[in-house]
Amino acid sequence: MRPLTLSRLLTHCAILSAVLFVVVVIALKLGAVPVSLYGLGHDLLRVLFRQTSQLSSEYQLIIFDIRLPRILLGIFVGASLSVAGASFQALLRNPLADPYVLGVSSGAAVGAIVALIVEPHLALAPAVAALLTPVGAFLGAALTVTAVYFLGLREGQIDSGTLLLAGIITASFLQAIIMFFMSTLTGGNYRGMAFWMMGELSTPPQHIVSLILRFGFFLAAGTIYTTASDLNLLLAGEKEAMHLGVDVRRVRLVVYIAASLLTGLAVSVSGAIGYVGLLVPHVMRLLFGSDHRILLPTAAFGGAIAVVVADTLARTVVSPAELPVGAMTAIAGAPLFLYLMRRRLT
Amino acid sequence: MRKDAQKNIPARSAVAALLVCAAWCCPPSQAQTPTESPAAAPLYKDFVDEAGRTVRIPQPVQRIVSLAPSLTETIYALGLEDRLVGDTDYCDYPPDAQKKTKVGGAINPSLEQIVALRPDLVLVTKSLNLIETVHALDNLGVSSYGTDPHTVEEIISSTERLADVLGVPEAGTTLGADLQRHLADLQQHLNGLPARRVLFIVWSDPLISVGKGTFIADALRLAGATSIVDSRQDWPHMSLEEVVRLQPDFLVFAASHSDSGQNDFDVLAERPGWRGLEAVRNRRFAVISDAVNRPAPRIVTAIEDLARQLHPEAFSSHPEDEKEKKPPPQQQLSLGITGASSGDRVLLEACACAL
Repeated sequence: MRPLTLSRLLTHCAILSAVLFVVVVIALKLGAVPVSLYGLGHDLLRVLFRQTSQLSSEYQLIIFDIRLPRILLGIFVGASLSVAGASFQALLRNPLADPYVLGVSSGAAVGAIVALIVEPHLALAPAVAALLTPVGAFLGAALTVTAVYFLGLREGQIDSGTLLLAGIITASFLQAIIMFFMSTLTGGNYRGMAFWMMGELSTPPQHIVSLILRFGFFLAAGTIYTTASDLNLLLAGEKEAMHLGVDVRRVRLVVYIAASLLTGLAVSVSGAIGYVGLLVPHVMRLLFGSDHRILLPTAAFGGAIAVVVADTLARTVVSPAELPVGAMTAIAGAPLFLYLMRRRLT
Repeated sequence: MRKDAQKNIPARSAVAALLVCAAWCCPPSQAQTPTESPAAAPLYKDFVDEAGRTVRIPQPVQRIVSLAPSLTETIYALGLEDRLVGDTDYCDYPPDAQKKTKVGGAINPSLEQIVALRPDLVLVTKSLNLIETVHALDNLGVSSYGTDPHTVEEIISSTERLADVLGVPEAGTTLGADLQRHLADLQQHLNGLPARRVLFIVWSDPLISVGKGTFIADALRLAGATSIVDSRQDWPHMSLEEVVRLQPDFLVFAASHSDSGQNDFDVLAERPGWRGLEAVRNRRFAVISDAVNRPAPRIVTAIEDLARQLHPEAFSSHPEDEKEKKPPPQQQLSLGITGASSGDRVLLEACACAL
């Protein structure tokens, strides 16, 4: 492992943020309604100089109230999933670990559906009622990870094999519950299966929810980053890390909670977008090495880039209709994953 | 390594600084709710839609976007097609509706395409569209009005109410009265006849029928039929075993062409187990227009059509109606079977949404 220098970290982050910027500009340009790149630059400047009154109102709505919030949502969802994936992989010392393998997304879906079922019986103010679904999704995710955590304990210690198995079984059990709800409930306005199975960014969350998402991301990702060098030592093995002075139990708990928080937040606003948490950390490891002090921030940028690109494709491929963004990440992600896996074997 | 980490405080703070910068740079997602104020300050009128929302709608409504095939048909039936500026990929009836600007599917419309059409009003229907779409439109300051009919009677009253909202109450009253007259005529023909027990086939593999709370079940009742399916679910999956036990008198298919309905029957009859149905052995089935799948005025034509096929004796004044599966005579409403239709797909989408 090469020693970490500030300039190396900053260079990597600068390169990735430049890529992200380009991707965002392209994503702002493309869509069902055509916008010229020149016009876009012009208008962005106008907005910077507070001359928004010169913009036509639909145009302003499309760019600043539809596309930009959606892109920002994609950035935070992608970054959250990817950082969570990198953390789980380090924590469980298993390259297959990923937020969804642990059942988080299924838990979130069950939570959201339960929230939708109880909502009409609670007589809440509309503003509160609108928050109930994301809150339900988040609670569902939190309960599931907690359950999986305890199921994965062996003699008081986390055993990564047991934990992964517990996650997979819990996930499929919860999927069955979702299917049950979806096929027995009637009349309600339940979001389609596609949302929870494939993920979507098409409907923006409430303003307060996106604020919570951003705040939660920086809090949780920051917390995980403070354990980055401990995660590096964990790669050598638990005993070794312990001998080197790492409080393995504490690191495990902290990272597990923070990574689950990231996943729960992301799932509650976007459904289950697969492969980002699994694949982006692997790609970043290949590109920049496995030092978590570099891996975590680069994975955040990489995840953001991946989701914004995938969502732009989802918006434009069958325009004006839309595909679920998870379908795009799966189409691109599965072959890439197989390629990486074969390459490692040879 | 541990010490190494301690030395890298600058690196950490650099990342922290980056994160803070990123946080600061992100503008809030909704700067402001835009206020629509076209040149001539329009009058607004408050309506309560069928989902119970109070919506403020500019008067008169000049630019309409429809997010459901049934609403598109209703707009045409009211003669307001010139005000329809956008509809969905599935809006295929009347054929002219296919030429309107498309905004995507009913479940996943493109918000930006809708906004770009500068609609005064977006029409949605609760059984097909998602509440998330309505919330997103609200946040963008676009008015939307929702319908939610569950019976044929409600389809008619909903049409009249929509006509009122769109500023053409007379057109709504005329259309409503016409539809009511057709239904009343039909009831006179069917008076005293026993209801046929039918299995309405929404989808054959897996077998999906209609629950008793749907407008389709109500349409069947008006056509002198009763669905053998007694389910509270809207789109219940049926087991063949149950269908064999219940032995329907007729199978009812909704198809875009009567040939394709015939085809559906032949495919079904070949499947193992279906010979156990007397209706299959005796080839007792009816094919009606897929208009029955859409809660729009055209459903009345489909009801008449079905009644003629199920109770030919009631219409014996027309000599050609003697035979059971004879295609029905041209309907007075001149809203026959659609052309290339994706009604099935829409319905399936509706199923997915209702589930």
